[in-house]
Amino acid sequence: MNSLTSDANPSINRSPSMLDLNVDSHVTVGDNVLDEAKVRVRNLDVFYGDKQAIHDINLDIREREVIALIGPSGCGKSTFLRCLNRMNDTIDICRMTGDIELDGENIYANRQDAVLLRARVGMVFQKANPFPKSIYDNVAYGPRIHGLTRNKPELDEIVEKSLTRAGLFEEVKDRLDSPGTGLSGGQQQRLCIARCIAVQPEIILMDEPASALDPIATTIIEGLIHELSEKYTIVIVTHSMQQAARVSRRTAYFHMGRLIEVGDTNAIFTNPLHDLTEKYITGRFG
Amino acid sequence: MEHMDFGRHTSREFNQDLENIRNMVLEMGGLVEQQVGDAMIALLQSNSELGQQVEDRDVEVNALEVKIDEACTQIIAKRQPAASDLRLVMAVVKTITDLERIGDEAEKIGHLAIKLATDTHRPEYYRHLELVGQMAKTILGNALDAFARLDAQAAFDTAKSDRKIDDEFETLSRVLITHMMEDNREIKNVLRVSWCARSLERIGDHSKNICEYVIYLVKGKDVRHISLKKIRKQFFNNPK
Repeated sequence: MNSLTSDANPSINRSPSMLDLNVDSHVTVGDNVLDEAKVRVRNLDVFYGDKQAIHDINLDIREREVIALIGPSGCGKSTFLRCLNRMNDTIDICRMTGDIELDGENIYANRQDAVLLRARVGMVFQKANPFPKSIYDNVAYGPRIHGLTRNKPELDEIVEKSLTRAGLFEEVKDRLDSPGTGLSGGQQQRLCIARCIAVQPEIILMDEPASALDPIATTIIEGLIHELSEKYTIVIVTHSMQQAARVSRRTAYFHMGRLIEVGDTNAIFTNPLHDLTEKYITGRFG
Repeated sequence: MEHMDFGRHTSREFNQDLENIRNMVLEMGGLVEQQVGDAMIALLQSNSELGQQVEDRDVEVNALEVKIDEACTQIIAKRQPAASDLRLVMAVVKTITDLERIGDEAEKIGHLAIKLATDTHRPEYYRHLELVGQMAKTILGNALDAFARLDAQAAFDTAKSDRKIDDEFETLSRVLITHMMEDNREIKNVLRVSWCARSLERIGDHSKNICEYVIYLVKGKDVRHISLKKIRKQFFNNPK
């Protein structure tokens, strides 16, 4: 006996080797396509030069849900995440085909302004990257360049609100003029989250937001994700499966550029449908 | 039968940890089976010495329960198991609780066997009691086999057979009541036999629980408190 099987989906590939995944017959298992969705991704292929990084992904994301993208290194989850706010546009050799719709509008349409899109779809990176400016200016930067405020009191209000929502205001309220880079790692990451939400995004993309943080700072970020999910749609890439299990409502498992399975997080972590998901989350590879 | 494999983790120690708890459950199961068997022999053959042995050996069953519980706690703390690994740990924790209770029932029978050994007269209803005892041993053995082989179909069939013990227990109870009504000098001993029968019936129930944990482990769905008909419809195509 050398393979785990589940009889829920007899059509799925049950090969014991992860290298044997049959591209042609591959179908994503689970509820990747929904009736109502904030974001719809259809037939997405992404190439870096000749190398195809993502193969035919179809995934819908609900409004105000937290969806975790998990999978082994190089599975395409970060590439997928970066497609959602056109961050891959900045990479010359990267090209994509397929459709990504935000509220029914194609985000790759010619008329779509990528800068405006990135205000609607914000991003938090693995390594906190505050600007070499004061805490205040870090948060005020976005509202200023997007012209979201008319005067200083309005800007002050946005800065305070954003820092409060990011759970940082109480810790920094007396030193808003100090450089953002002087904060601790966890505080810097929350500053980046505050900067992200200052421009009132609808979606927040998080690429391993807590992987460089200690357990306490990680817990604070996870609590924050939970609170933010009441207002924003959050897509989080994480290497920590326990984190995915803790913070997300749905989980999507990527493998070698393909979306293998999408489902309710509770179900994925107790009874996944696909062999590969099972093998990955039980630590048999990855 | 589903194929499950608890090896092949990137961490070899994790493979070993999971293998260990499975083996310890089978060891505990073997001990409990022997306890039930010995208790029945003590009861049917008026062997108070063997009854005493069964009573004394219950501490070994209890000690194994504590040991396996501890091993499962360690796995959860260190490995954070998921999916089938998590279901295995949960199924083990639950299974050993039922095994420990089966051990307690065997101990009770052993204790009553000592009391009943003073009267070597064995009326006809002892044959009926022997039958219920055999059925309890069979269902326990089958439940443990299903666990060892991770065979959900066998677990389902075994769970279904618990009904037969319940029916036999009802019949035996009626016989015992009749005896008590006919000869009130016998009431004390007949009551003791009745308690033994009750213990055997409980062993059937606990074995059925173990079967439900095996189905949960293999199929990934909790089937407790669901009718057998529904379970069959949902998980087993075989109309057996």
